[in-house]
Amino acid sequence: MLCATPPSAAPSEATALIAKLARPVPASTAYTEVRFVHLLRKPLVLQGQLDYNGPGQLGKRVEAPYRETTTIAAGAVEVTRAERPPKRFDLDRAPELKALLTGFSALLGGDAATLQQFYTMEFVENAPNWTLTLLPRAADSGSHLRALVVAGAGVEPRCFTLQQADGDSSTMLLGALSEATLPQPPTPAAVAALCARP
Amino acid sequence: MTNARRYALIALWWLALAACAFVLQQRLVISGDLREFMPPPTNAEQKLLLDAIGEGPASRLLLLAIGDAPPAQVARLSDSLARALRTDAHFERVLNGGGDLAALDPALLPYRYVLSPTLDEHAFDAATLRDELQQRVQDLGSPAAEMLKDLLPRDPTLETLKLAQRWLPRRAPALRDGVWFSPHDEALLLVQTRAGGFDPQAQAQAIAALQTAFAALPDGGSAQLSISGPGYIGVQVGAQTRREAERLSVFGSAGFIVLLLLAYRSGGVLALVALPLLSGALAGVAAIAFAFGSMHGITLAFGFTLLGVAQEYPLRVFSHRRVGTDARTSVREVWPLLRLAIVSACIAYLAFLVSGVAGLQQLAVFTISGLLVAGAATRWLLPALLSASFRDVAESTWLEKLRAIIDGVRRPRWLPWALLLLALAWLQMAPAPLWQNDLAALTPASPALLAREGELRAALGAPDVRYLLVIEAPSADGVLAAAERITPQVDKWIAAHAVDDVELPSRYLPSAATQRARQTKLPEHAALVAALDTALADTDFLPGLFTPFLDDVEAARRLPVLTPEQFAGSPFGARLQAMLLPRAGRWLGLATLSGVHDAAAIRLDAGSDAHLLDLKAASEELVAAYRTRILVALGAALVLLGLSVALAFRNWRRAWAVLAPMSLATLLAFAVLRAGGISLSLFHLVALTLAAGLGLHYALFFERPVADAAEARRTLHATLVCVGSALLVFGLLATSALPVLRAIGLTVALGVLFHFFLSIQMARPRQDS
Repeated sequence: MLCATPPSAAPSEATALIAKLARPVPASTAYTEVRFVHLLRKPLVLQGQLDYNGPGQLGKRVEAPYRETTTIAAGAVEVTRAERPPKRFDLDRAPELKALLTGFSALLGGDAATLQQFYTMEFVENAPNWTLTLLPRAADSGSHLRALVVAGAGVEPRCFTLQQADGDSSTMLLGALSEATLPQPPTPAAVAALCARP
Repeated sequence: MTNARRYALIALWWLALAACAFVLQQRLVISGDLREFMPPPTNAEQKLLLDAIGEGPASRLLLLAIGDAPPAQVARLSDSLARALRTDAHFERVLNGGGDLAALDPALLPYRYVLSPTLDEHAFDAATLRDELQQRVQDLGSPAAEMLKDLLPRDPTLETLKLAQRWLPRRAPALRDGVWFSPHDEALLLVQTRAGGFDPQAQAQAIAALQTAFAALPDGGSAQLSISGPGYIGVQVGAQTRREAERLSVFGSAGFIVLLLLAYRSGGVLALVALPLLSGALAGVAAIAFAFGSMHGITLAFGFTLLGVAQEYPLRVFSHRRVGTDARTSVREVWPLLRLAIVSACIAYLAFLVSGVAGLQQLAVFTISGLLVAGAATRWLLPALLSASFRDVAESTWLEKLRAIIDGVRRPRWLPWALLLLALAWLQMAPAPLWQNDLAALTPASPALLAREGELRAALGAPDVRYLLVIEAPSADGVLAAAERITPQVDKWIAAHAVDDVELPSRYLPSAATQRARQTKLPEHAALVAALDTALADTDFLPGLFTPFLDDVEAARRLPVLTPEQFAGSPFGARLQAMLLPRAGRWLGLATLSGVHDAAAIRLDAGSDAHLLDLKAASEELVAAYRTRILVALGAALVLLGLSVALAFRNWRRAWAVLAPMSLATLLAFAVLRAGGISLSLFHLVALTLAAGLGLHYALFFERPVADAAEARRTLHATLVCVGSALLVFGLLATSALPVLRAIGLTVALGVLFHFFLSIQMARPRQDS
């Protein structure tokens, strides 16, 4: 599966950019996540902290509006909520999280080759802003995840957006942008505009 | 008769035997089911045990590990193998950690509200629903969102997942890439065969099907599949025992051939010597096929062992041929003694027929018909085929020297009594327990196999094969209700770490009463709508989203009680079916235990319909009971043998001269084994019986008054060939590392030695008397 599709050449600008995005481990950043779920009348807005501890290891802490800690290590996910026993499940059962993890690990590791293995890349630059769209190569992991969009400016990634096949999506606003006032009502387009702000 | 005609007849005999063997091999069913070998159960515990031995769910588990390849590939193989095996009729349950979300048959989905224990403690009121819905909102914000989104409208309280969790082994291995993994990067699977765990043939078929399925996978060759479990170990040990026995019998046969060539200086005897025994064995098998239809493998092995005495018949004929007398006359001269030995042995084995144990009756039918046919073949067929040219063994000078030495040996009358005292003293000092009741101890698995089994069993949290919790009730539903009643006790054991898990049938299907109680707790439609509306007011869920939930609850209220038969179609239906057994108008529930740490702490309250069955202890009791019957049968056989010998001689003194050395030699062999620290098993008893049968021949022939020294030499020659061949074949078995082969080999070899020397001492007529 891994080597079935020969990776197509990525745009050289993308490769150059990814190399610049590399961060030392551990990396940690505040985030605001906006989730558009078709079962809900309005999007979920969550705030917290992302901790990247090296390839395959990610911690995601929700601090508001409730507290929840997700840790990923060795292919297993553990979700802990206050006063409830932790839930554990396999990373494969949460493709969204897996995509995020793979994308994150490769981006923070400056590893364009790994990204090319799993995704085809589209790179759009509008200096200093840029958008890197990652489309999953493998059909099975693409069943839920349609695209992973990273938006940034200069060497800073600002937004991580996961687009699901069923039309749902979620965007994580990272670093300084996590403090930004969200457009009201927050729509996918409005959030995208926030990420593309000069 | 011309030589050509003789050869043709010998060839014809061989061909006839081959044809018989071919026909019989297709007719007779050799059963590996231990129940056919055991005596009929005498109490409830034993009845249950016999069922459990065949049906016990834990003993039917095969533990699989796929390794030696990258984890991602191993995980894919685990999934493909599980898919392949789920459609294979050899297996009724295949678990690999994946696919647990589809635990309930979609057609049965509304039943989740009566299957899940949620309603025992909670009601579907506004408060509960509000709490649940708030958690669901958080779930949608969590990494689990994608797994749950499709499920929520129909199942906002996630009963489906609760059931999936409830139905998974409590101490399941870690999941990686969606399947179970061991700490050593192997994918783990748990497979339950349809065949009983102690039916080696059926297990072998299931294992072959498993290996074929794995080899047929696209990537199957690139990884290593390792199998363990009781059935697999049974098959491996059986194959190892067979290989070893075959290897030793090849050596034994080669040695026997050399011995025959040395003894008779003729190649012709080689073509003839096996014919009576083979004819007898085939006749025995045919009699079993005719009378019983099937036979247990152990009974067959015992039968062949006991029939070993027939190998002496042709040897006696060969040794006793005399120059100037044709073969028929020679045979006629030794025939009265052979006939006496055969008839008295047959009369003795009649005792087995009335033992009431199917295995012993089969043994008697096999041995009696085998001995009669082998004897008849020796008497009426063999002489016609003997070559006219032969060498009279009495002409050997070394034989005369040996005879003189033996005649010169002092025969003090006190010696047998001293030996008797010695034997009794040895028996008193014996260090080991008298009996070995654990049949498995005779065919032990290699430490490596057992270690691997223990490792996989622990990693998989698979049930213990030794203990079984048995619930008895008048109906299947009664079993489920009784299982629910003992659940609090079971929870206490688990909390006290006496056991890791007890898999009760009520885990899969609650009793009808519990189902109805849960149904009555489901709110009416209007009340549920109101409660849901109140709960929804505090959330952002879309209005009308939970209509499928409302419909399912309403459907669940009106459902008829789910029966085990209806549940059978569900993925866990087969699992439940294997735990519920109808027997003699009542029902049994078999609950497996995993990780038993303290069996003594697992005590059921008095008056409960369940009890803990220790399969090892119970089967040892059963073996002990079987052995008692064999001992009684052997005792009766001995009495019958003595009576028939005495009756034939019509002379107590002569009968004593034959029976005394035979009895003392048997006792001595027994005492030496005991003094050597050996605990006796059924195999030892059968071996002692064979040795006694051989000893009867030695004593009979030595006791026979002879006309001249030449005839005495022939008797000595025949007996030496017989003793030599028995020592060769069984002495080789005694060198085996496998306890079962060593038990038979050592016992027969020892017995033969004692019988030979005591016959010389005690059976031969004294010159002075």
